[in-house]
Amino acid sequence: MKTYYKSEIKTALIFLTPLAIFILLFVFIPIIATFINSFFKDITFLNKKFIFLQNYFYLFKDAGFWQSLRFTLLFIIVSVPAEIILGLIFALILNYNIPYRGFIRVCVLLPWVIPAVVSARLWELIYNYSYGLANFLLLKTGLINELVNWLETGFSAFFALIVADVWKTTPFVAIILLAGLQAIPQEIYFQAMIDRANVWQRFSKITLPLLKPILIIALLFRTIDAIRIFDLVYVLTKGGPGGSTTSLSLYAYKYFLSGDFGYASSISIILFLISFIISLLYIKFGKFEQEIL
Amino acid sequence: MVGGAPNEVAFWNKLAKEFEKETGIKVEILKQPADTEQRRQGLVIALTSKNKDPDVFLMDVVWIPQFAASHWLEPLNSYLKRDSQILKGFFKNVIKTVDVYHQNIIALPVYIDGGILYYRKDLLQKAGFKNPPQTWEDLVDYSLKIQRIIKKENPDFYGFVWQGAQYEGLVCNFLEIATSNKGGIFFKNGRIILNIPQNIKALEFMKDLIHKYKISPPNTFTEMKEEETRIFFQKGNALFERNWPYAWMLHQAQNSPVKNKIDITELPHFKGGKSTSALGGWHIGISKYSDNKKASWKFVKFVTSYKVQKELALNLGWNPARTDVYKDKEILKTLPHFKKLRVIFNNLVPRPKVPYYPLISETLQRYINGALAGKIEPAKALAQAQKEINLIVNRYEK
Repeated sequence: MKTYYKSEIKTALIFLTPLAIFILLFVFIPIIATFINSFFKDITFLNKKFIFLQNYFYLFKDAGFWQSLRFTLLFIIVSVPAEIILGLIFALILNYNIPYRGFIRVCVLLPWVIPAVVSARLWELIYNYSYGLANFLLLKTGLINELVNWLETGFSAFFALIVADVWKTTPFVAIILLAGLQAIPQEIYFQAMIDRANVWQRFSKITLPLLKPILIIALLFRTIDAIRIFDLVYVLTKGGPGGSTTSLSLYAYKYFLSGDFGYASSISIILFLISFIISLLYIKFGKFEQEIL
Repeated sequence: MVGGAPNEVAFWNKLAKEFEKETGIKVEILKQPADTEQRRQGLVIALTSKNKDPDVFLMDVVWIPQFAASHWLEPLNSYLKRDSQILKGFFKNVIKTVDVYHQNIIALPVYIDGGILYYRKDLLQKAGFKNPPQTWEDLVDYSLKIQRIIKKENPDFYGFVWQGAQYEGLVCNFLEIATSNKGGIFFKNGRIILNIPQNIKALEFMKDLIHKYKISPPNTFTEMKEEETRIFFQKGNALFERNWPYAWMLHQAQNSPVKNKIDITELPHFKGGKSTSALGGWHIGISKYSDNKKASWKFVKFVTSYKVQKELALNLGWNPARTDVYKDKEILKTLPHFKKLRVIFNNLVPRPKVPYYPLISETLQRYINGALAGKIEPAKALAQAQKEINLIVNRYEK
């Protein structure tokens, strides 16, 4: 562990204070307020009443809650690994000295630049049954004879959402990993080549271990983002068919709209706890305290 | 606070200017998105934080029980006492079912909506059907016959389009078909009654429209909302359409392929049942937190006046909340279908009138849509929905 001078600490504190105030105002206070609110029967059309854990007990009996919890977890389990793997492949390709590298990088990044709601609308137009691009292209090329209803079953709607999400966020993973790749000194590879390490050995023994901290960061960001998935579902499926694609945040939103702030708060707290625990796990197993090299 | 399509917002801006000229009171129009849920969100936030603005706002019919029970709406009785004559012109059934809360009138209707059946009179005539279908059985029969012929040239053609996606409109569609079979959504002794044979038959029928008769397109339960059905029908790809009256003006627009080929009638019913339309529409109310209630009341009176209601119909094609406007000569000349609407609007069926209705609706949407998707049997869907809704009722009735 490195020791710091007093003056160093002082400067650090001065620089950190604005951020700390910001986090306190816009992160901690809302979280605590939501937490307190989740102990209340706080419904616009009834008297406010302290009910302690009853909102949470009600959650356990609520089939809609379990359905949305299951969807949200499944969504993370499928979308995040897909994005990481694809992102890694893109990053490795972009890391090579290919022609038009700058141009290709911009192209890859484009989906990430588009606002989430806009890209969701875009996919809505692609999936649309009667005038969607997907059906149009598949029909023209003769791959299908009959129109496909992409959002028909819970299963197909789920994968339609996954595809849209992967399309949108893979670039983000690719860019983060690309930065990580470029931080790896080229000398190590030269040395490995002298030792006659093949491509796979160089990747698995050098690239992957050295990329690990960045990979964990990418995983962390993507997981937390995926837990909160809202815009895509709100636009594409509205939670259907039959509620099978309702995410936790969409479910909380529906209660918020109905004026039941207490219950909506308890759902939000569960959402918060899940992402908090996952973050802790990542940080623990990511071993951030170890320095690179 | 108003929202909606750009032409609607422009119209409200024009109204505000007219009002200012007449009374000298300046009205600031707060713009909202077109999406109904987002409009509610904006209002819920303003009202829970006891904002002084907006003073006056428009509400969807189904929000009113929640807004009233939350004591967000200024009771209008004392204002109405002084201006009692203004109540006369309205659809009485609408005010009675929607705007009265604890013997107080808390809002007034601005315009009325109800589900209606649009049909292609040219196609019916060609196939030798003189009248539009009276019963659902007829509708299926006509659709099958005409669809078979037209599909040969236009494979995208379907008999009947309606709103089946998982959203509020689906509840309206279900309610109409169920009540036309003497079913519906009932409350008895603080419990909801949903799982009855009439409703099961109605839901089975809705499912059959898509999967058995195949006269409704397969994306009915994934994508079909108002605009999707309207566009589908307007392209000439459907024989019948269930929609709100707003579609009329668009169907009859200059560049519409179905212009002058269509007509409207009341929705069909099952044998032995009666046609009904789900009651929709928007109402105007004054915020309890308004710091300018007197001026607000003047604006409410202005918006619900004969003159403005007529303008509403002529400019936006909305259906006025006042019956007297439907007999206006100028109106009947430009909007002849208003004659039929006035009759249809006497058979409006409201959605459950409880402050926690959105949650009931959410559950209903989930199960009805699930049944349409074939995920769950209609009978089981209704049984489950009833069970889940009664949990909600228990939670909020205490």
